Amino acid sequence: MTDWNAISDADFRKEVRGFFEAEYPEELRNLSHRPKFAEIEHWHVKLHAKGWVAPAWPAEFGGMGLNAAKLLIFYEEQQRWGVNRGRDMGIQMVGPLIIKFGTQEQKDYWLPRILSCEDIWCQGYSEPGAGSDLANLRTRAEIDGDDFVINGQKIWTTMAHDASHIFMLVRTDPDAPKKQQGISFLLAPMDQPGVEVRTITTLSGEKEFCEVFFDSARAPKENLVGELNKGWTMAKALLSFERIFIGAPNLAQNALGQLESFARGRGAFDDPVFRDRFAQAALDVEDHAALYTRFADQLKRGETLGADVSMLKIWVTECFQRITELMIEAAGPDGGSIGPLQVGNVSVDVLASFYKARPGTIYGGSNEIQRNILSKAVLGLPG
Amino acid sequence: MTSSEQDDLRLLRESTRTLFERAGGSGRARKLRDAGGNFDPAMVRELAEAGVFGVTVPEENGGLGMGLAAGGVIAEEVGRVIAPEPVVMTVGLSLGLLRRVCPDHPKMAQLISGDSVLAVAWQERGPGGAPGEATCRYADGKLTGSKAWVAGAPGSQGFLVVAEGDNGPVLVLADASATGLSVDKRTQADGSSLGELSFSGTPAEQLAEGPAVQDALAEAISDATALAAAELVGLTDSAFDITLDYIKTREQFDKPIGSFQAIQHRAVDLHIMREVAQAGVREVLAQMDAEADPKRRAQLASRAKARAVTAAKKITRDAIQMHGAVGYTDEYDIGLYLNRALVLSAWLGDDAYHRRIWFDAREEEGAAQ
Repeated sequence: MTDWNAISDADFRKEVRGFFEAEYPEELRNLSHRPKFAEIEHWHVKLHAKGWVAPAWPAEFGGMGLNAAKLLIFYEEQQRWGVNRGRDMGIQMVGPLIIKFGTQEQKDYWLPRILSCEDIWCQGYSEPGAGSDLANLRTRAEIDGDDFVINGQKIWTTMAHDASHIFMLVRTDPDAPKKQQGISFLLAPMDQPGVEVRTITTLSGEKEFCEVFFDSARAPKENLVGELNKGWTMAKALLSFERIFIGAPNLAQNALGQLESFARGRGAFDDPVFRDRFAQAALDVEDHAALYTRFADQLKRGETLGADVSMLKIWVTECFQRITELMIEAAGPDGGSIGPLQVGNVSVDVLASFYKARPGTIYGGSNEIQRNILSKAVLGLPG
Repeated sequence: MTSSEQDDLRLLRESTRTLFERAGGSGRARKLRDAGGNFDPAMVRELAEAGVFGVTVPEENGGLGMGLAAGGVIAEEVGRVIAPEPVVMTVGLSLGLLRRVCPDHPKMAQLISGDSVLAVAWQERGPGGAPGEATCRYADGKLTGSKAWVAGAPGSQGFLVVAEGDNGPVLVLADASATGLSVDKRTQADGSSLGELSFSGTPAEQLAEGPAVQDALAEAISDATALAAAELVGLTDSAFDITLDYIKTREQFDKPIGSFQAIQHRAVDLHIMREVAQAGVREVLAQMDAEADPKRRAQLASRAKARAVTAAKKITRDAIQMHGAVGYTDEYDIGLYLNRALVLSAWLGDDAYHRRIWFDAREEEGAAQ
């Protein structure tokens, strides 16, 4: 087995880049929608054969065992080449949780199935009354014989209509003194009578989010991961790496590149006002990347990231939105048109970019919630 | 940057900060302003003893040979206490020019040792204000014409003047007390002054001539621009810290105003802005040290100044608002930071100017490829 961490960053980058460029199917590059598994299965098979499905997992569980520095490189190369993340909820969320908190039996059973995508996972966290205030979740799981019986509703469940399993936060002790207590982490199969999935059509017409209804659905007791009523702490422990990942510069950088070719084709740069606003956006992206590097270096030195890393997410998601506004502006009378707009030999789907930029400020803890956290945890502002 | 270089910068930061704190921190800036707006020559010598002025000068010319990243560390500390001493002017412009065109001139040593301060007169009013279009003439050892916006003019022992000679551009040195030189002072928001210089047959010593003068001037301006950005980063950092302390302690409706979400979210945005500015400007300085192409260095400097001014403008203005009515008084230090930010922002080009320069350089680079 290769010890990837032992080779130089530059060599590792070359290796990863080489593989993606040679093996990643051209038709799947820079997908503007979230694919169903069937659409990307041929790529997943290759990735699985290579042993690269789970870059962050320890090698003993079938991962690449990458340290933080190598992991960042892996993701940077993935984004650079427009490689789709695939159906990675199992890899990103469930696997690490089972590795950290699961029993030996759980590891032996679930981890290989996650890697092979025999099981495809979706995340059941948010509920109609538990969005930013996630700890307010109400979906109940009660023990009945050898099973948990689940009742309630999850929402914004990404790709639930294409998942075989759901990992969820459920309330197992409604009488706990604090709402963060009494929450457990449970795995449940989707293919059963008590589970109903309805897709939600988004502003852009996509159907990647779902509502999931549980009406006395069942999950065996051994599907509880970690201790009963300790799910909140476990779920939070997973978030630290994700927080730098969702603050990465790539989405904004890609959008800026699109904006530039589109604006050039449209002659928007003839307008000095537009030039200035473009320069502002471009510098916002460059200087964000400098701050991102500072945090990435912290990770590379083996330091733990603090709450201040959320700055990256706030800045870059809002910057991404400003860039897509400039695209609409450059589109002029075409600014309301759905589908790709052709300019010269480039084709840019202005509205697709615009819509793509919307959820970033909402998911992963809305930017308002992030500001609340920063104001208390970083600036030390009172109450 | 290697970890030993990082350690060097950390030590430099600590020693510079200690020096300024011992001298009285930002309180010193108020005293000097009230005393007439000049910097303190004794402080200049103390800074010189710490090696501040020679930081980017090669060791064989009597400096520390450390590079712009180190200069930026010092400039940030200058900004933090809004010290009026001409650190960026000397490191970036005066020594930036001399070390490139006449590294063996005795004035080098005097500037590094803090025994002398020289201001640089390179701009002119009117359409001929850009470098290379000087109408100020130098012939037969004498200067005639005028120069504008000379920072650090009061308090300097002489002027490095970029003028038009018989064979193209020249760099000459005129003594502050030379005959036929008059200096009009234009007072700035922070109490310092810009000089409007006019020469009529003023004797001056030629230091260099030809295209080398323009090249060195352009490079020195890039250095000074990036260092001024670093000074603004330090200033902005302090201005925000002062404001943060204020909103934690100022009470209205029986609560600290910093407990109100409207204030909290604004404060977070300002904090992010200062962190982005610090990261961006420090990255630029390190990249300029590794970059040889003057055009690319100029573009990097513009990126730094555009960012630093954007952040400084927003943060010093919002700082006043968050202080409320007392923010509008001279009594509170936050106003000193606003006033210094106004001056540093206008000096060597503001954010809008540098975005334009940056964009044009980017277009030129794109067209060349």
